[in-house]
Amino acid sequence: MLEILQYQFMINALIAGVVIALLASVSGSFIVLRRYSMMTETLAHSALVGVAVGLISATNPLWMAVIAALISAWTIEYLRSFYHLYSDAVLAIFLSGSLALAVIIVSLAGAFNSSLFSYLFGSILSVSREDVITIIIFGAIAFTLLALFYKEFYFIAFDEEVAQTSGIQVKWLNFLLVSIAAVIIALSIRIVGTLLIGALMVIPTVAALRYRQGFSRTILLAGLFAVTSVLAGMVLSFYFSLPSGATIVMCILAIFVISLLINRR
Amino acid sequence: MHFEPAVFEVQGLDYSVNGQQILDHLSMTVHKGEYCAIIGPNGGGKTTLIRLLLGLEQADKGEIRLFGVDHKKFKAYDKIGYVPQRVMQIDTSFPATVFEVVKMGRIAKRGLFSREKPEDRAAVEDAMHKMDVQHLREKRIGELSGGQRQRVMIARALASKPEVLILDEPNTGVDQHSQQRFYALLRELNREARLTIIFITHDVGVIADDIGRLFTINQTLLTCNNPKEALSCSEMSKLYGIDAHSLHQHHHH
Repeated sequence: MLEILQYQFMINALIAGVVIALLASVSGSFIVLRRYSMMTETLAHSALVGVAVGLISATNPLWMAVIAALISAWTIEYLRSFYHLYSDAVLAIFLSGSLALAVIIVSLAGAFNSSLFSYLFGSILSVSREDVITIIIFGAIAFTLLALFYKEFYFIAFDEEVAQTSGIQVKWLNFLLVSIAAVIIALSIRIVGTLLIGALMVIPTVAALRYRQGFSRTILLAGLFAVTSVLAGMVLSFYFSLPSGATIVMCILAIFVISLLINRR
Repeated sequence: MHFEPAVFEVQGLDYSVNGQQILDHLSMTVHKGEYCAIIGPNGGGKTTLIRLLLGLEQADKGEIRLFGVDHKKFKAYDKIGYVPQRVMQIDTSFPATVFEVVKMGRIAKRGLFSREKPEDRAAVEDAMHKMDVQHLREKRIGELSGGQRQRVMIARALASKPEVLILDEPNTGVDQHSQQRFYALLRELNREARLTIIFITHDVGVIADDIGRLFTINQTLLTCNNPKEALSCSEMSKLYGIDAHSLHQHHHH
């Protein structure tokens, strides 16, 4: 048996990693096609506020991260659709604002420690059994919603106005999509970390787009790339004692560069 | 006599953006089975009118009835197939095959939990057949020519089995040959399937034989007439605000 599979924490991390890779890449496809890529970075930073609250209040940081990311996603969508603020500016405000808030909460509690570090960059050592269960429960809900509405999300990404005129509830579904993304991002920070999760959502799809396929194949490719890089990244991180998030991101980047080179016009 | 409500009934529509009046007390009616064209200068409110009909913008004042129902209560948007102006500005790297795009036309119709039914499949095939894009099925939309892409967009609109088809300047960037073919297809849809067609265009000379009514719009409805009674120079001048003599001749060479 492989040495890597003799450790319970590694098995936890691998299960959580594969689930997250699939969720992040599939939801990421819609996010990228809607030109919402920066949203992932912002929500990840908002999730950090939840982590900070969780750390100082001794509640589960993962649950708190989900809640914080959801509140942030809804506020952003609300500001965007009702105040007609520039979307990228709103995202920038929330990104730095959340980070500032998280840092203040953590330092007030004097809890600026390695535990926070693991949420910033991801740590496979820290994935507990409880985390795996949380990830599977929320992951299943997110996946069910994506499966139910993927046709609608796809149509909206293709042409929002035509989708609306054909009777699709665009506003409501936009809220739903960012909510799903928020949950997935919050779940991912255990493995990939706040500062790196954007890569896992965005790069697999961008790499898959280089192959110029239809939508179903593009999503399959993105999922395949994400799972491959998460597994490769974790194994490398295990054998070379590297931070898991950073290693995973380097693996995705490698796939992206290869995809670029293969598909030169 | 069999009574059918008008497809679109617009009364006293006002619409302005940032204090600039786009539509001024516009009223018009489109009946079922009609084939009508809307012409008018750029910025004259043609596209705005369509967007108001589709509920993409809200009017300042006035009444809109769709199939006899007040537009605020109107739900049956799947009866309306809409092909917007920007066929040529589509993102060419968007991952969508022709088949996937045409299938989008069934999404709102299918509802949430239902799986794809044989009738969905049939509607998609039928729409692709009508628009002659079956052989392009597995092609990505980014690979298509302007004319092909335009037919795919209309096939998507047709896949929902609409009763009305609204086309906003669908020929921008499409070559002459494809245009002729496209007009022939529209004529067929109107005559055989009794589809109501509303067509925004600059190119009214070409379809003058097909269309039943011609609306000329510049802020308000200026004329509404039978296109075969050719537009007079004075009417054209009134519409475009210039001496439209050359334009007139161009359309009837």
